[in-house]
Amino acid sequence: MSAALTDQERIEELKKKAKKQSPWAIARRKLFRNKLAVISLVYLIIVVIAAYLAPLISPHSPTLVDIMNRNSPPGDGYLLGTDRSGRDIFTLLLYGARTSLTIGIVCMIGIVLLGTTIGSIAGYYGGWVDAVLMRFTDFMMNFPFLVFVIVLASIFREAGIWALILVFIVLGWTGAARVVRSKMMSEKENEYVMAAISIGGTPFKVIRKHLLPNIMTTIIVQATLLLAVMIVAETALSFLGFGVPSGTPSWGNMMQEARSPTVIRNSWWIWIPPAVAITSTILAINFIGEGIKDAFNPKSAR
Amino acid sequence: MSSQNALLEIDNLHTGFNIDGDFHHAIKGVSFDVKPKEVVCVVGESGCGKSVMSLSIMQLLPKHNGKIDKGEIRFNGKNLAEYSEKEMNNIRGKDISMIFQEPMTALNPVLTIGFQLDEVLLNHSKDSKESVRKKSIQLLKDVGISRSDQIVHEYPHQLSGGMRQRVMIAMAIACEPQLLIADEPTTALDVTVQAQILELIKKIQDERGTAVMLITHDLGVVAEMADRVVVMYAGQVVEQSDVDRIFHDPQHPYTKALLGSIPKMEEEVDELNTIRGIVPTLTKMPKQGCRFVDRCPAAMPECRQIDPQLGETDKGHTVRCLLYEESRPGEKAEVRS
Repeated sequence: MSAALTDQERIEELKKKAKKQSPWAIARRKLFRNKLAVISLVYLIIVVIAAYLAPLISPHSPTLVDIMNRNSPPGDGYLLGTDRSGRDIFTLLLYGARTSLTIGIVCMIGIVLLGTTIGSIAGYYGGWVDAVLMRFTDFMMNFPFLVFVIVLASIFREAGIWALILVFIVLGWTGAARVVRSKMMSEKENEYVMAAISIGGTPFKVIRKHLLPNIMTTIIVQATLLLAVMIVAETALSFLGFGVPSGTPSWGNMMQEARSPTVIRNSWWIWIPPAVAITSTILAINFIGEGIKDAFNPKSAR
Repeated sequence: MSSQNALLEIDNLHTGFNIDGDFHHAIKGVSFDVKPKEVVCVVGESGCGKSVMSLSIMQLLPKHNGKIDKGEIRFNGKNLAEYSEKEMNNIRGKDISMIFQEPMTALNPVLTIGFQLDEVLLNHSKDSKESVRKKSIQLLKDVGISRSDQIVHEYPHQLSGGMRQRVMIAMAIACEPQLLIADEPTTALDVTVQAQILELIKKIQDERGTAVMLITHDLGVVAEMADRVVVMYAGQVVEQSDVDRIFHDPQHPYTKALLGSIPKMEEEVDELNTIRGIVPTLTKMPKQGCRFVDRCPAAMPECRQIDPQLGETDKGHTVRCLLYEESRPGEKAEVRS
């Protein structure tokens, strides 16, 4: 370091150096060395950008119906062909990505917040608080998911995808809560927790400032996997006709077309693109999740 | 001795744990005082209840099965055992603070040193983050860490054991507490560092007038540091006196045995002196008589029947052993130091 640096600059320099040593920085370096995860991440970013910039990228309007060119194969002005009502498949794919990813991301955030809150409280306090919260979790877990979704979806037909998101969150947080609880229970036995209490930390502070940063890795991995699960759930329900209202394009709704045997047999361009999009996105998310898990594992060599 | 001016008075403290549905006392009727600016050493083997006592004072006992059953812990005359969790939070770290045994595990691995040190100050004051950070850096300097403006940005794994213990001490003294509880602060450190850390604690005690309750099993540390010594065995105080009398005129057979176990440089021996046996576990504690009887070289038949009391054999020197008339129940009521 040259003597010309002022104190302020020197401190900034030190801060930067220290940041490189933080557990986050170490994990990030490890993650970027994992080729599969990096490729997946780039792919996912492209999908997300394409999805949210759909109105700018897509060659046609998602509501444009070309009666003259129904069920036409790729080419001839339509990059991936048209579906049975004459809508451009490529445009639908982009708009569908928007719906499917929105559902996945919002559900993931909601579930992580709800699950982490309930899991942290149950795990930290233990005793009767834990017993009550965990019995409630078991109760929610045993709810027949499909029946509940179908009933609610028919009641809140008007609300569109937001009703679906709400149902997913309300029924989906249980797994995350259990994982966070068990992590919390093992983590709170550490002496640093007692040290944090001994300097006058309130339970809320101890959970938020000391325990959550330590189990954040688990939460992040859970979150990535949840994102994949939620996208699959949306697709599956829409495929069955109980998910996203049929007017809204989504990957699941596009797959619904494939329920007809003639489409499966004769019009591959209608169902292959959404199928590939779903599969590749889910795979990418899972690879990223695995990569993050590896990166935070101090025993992994990569 | 009057207990009027004591900083911390522990009075007939009973603390125990629920094990398989039964309540067992880990501490049974412990009483002693810590006066302002005094260093009191609590000594005894592993499993004597030393750590349980410090956790009782801080109210850090495991919630699911640990409990203060009886007795009072008076700090500045107020009974901490009756304090609510919220009231305790205002005391912890501010008026009473604690140094833990393992500096390796007592610091949070994912937070910077500065963050953890700031937190003590932020918990107990409304200062701005900038002024708190300045104070943290000064505190690290006070405990002898030289590159302190750099260390605040580092993580615990980047520091050595001795440095981490210094950080723990800085955290403990941040709010200038009246009482510092140090639970075997040097056990996890190597010998050269041990001496430095003890010197630091001694210096802080001198400069800031903090009272120190030092829990240790190392009699060398006791001789170095203590004003007064409390010898504990199996959850009871067995002897208590000032440091000179403990070393030159030990009365309880247990204290004698502890002192006899120190290896001496000038004597050539084939085998080191030990105390045979171990401290009985909580569930196997004798219900009646002296708790040390099975290991005591001076045991008498009546030791198994009569519970010895803490009696004052000399001014300021109390002992719990039937060898002394003062310890026989009925002849003299239990005396507090």
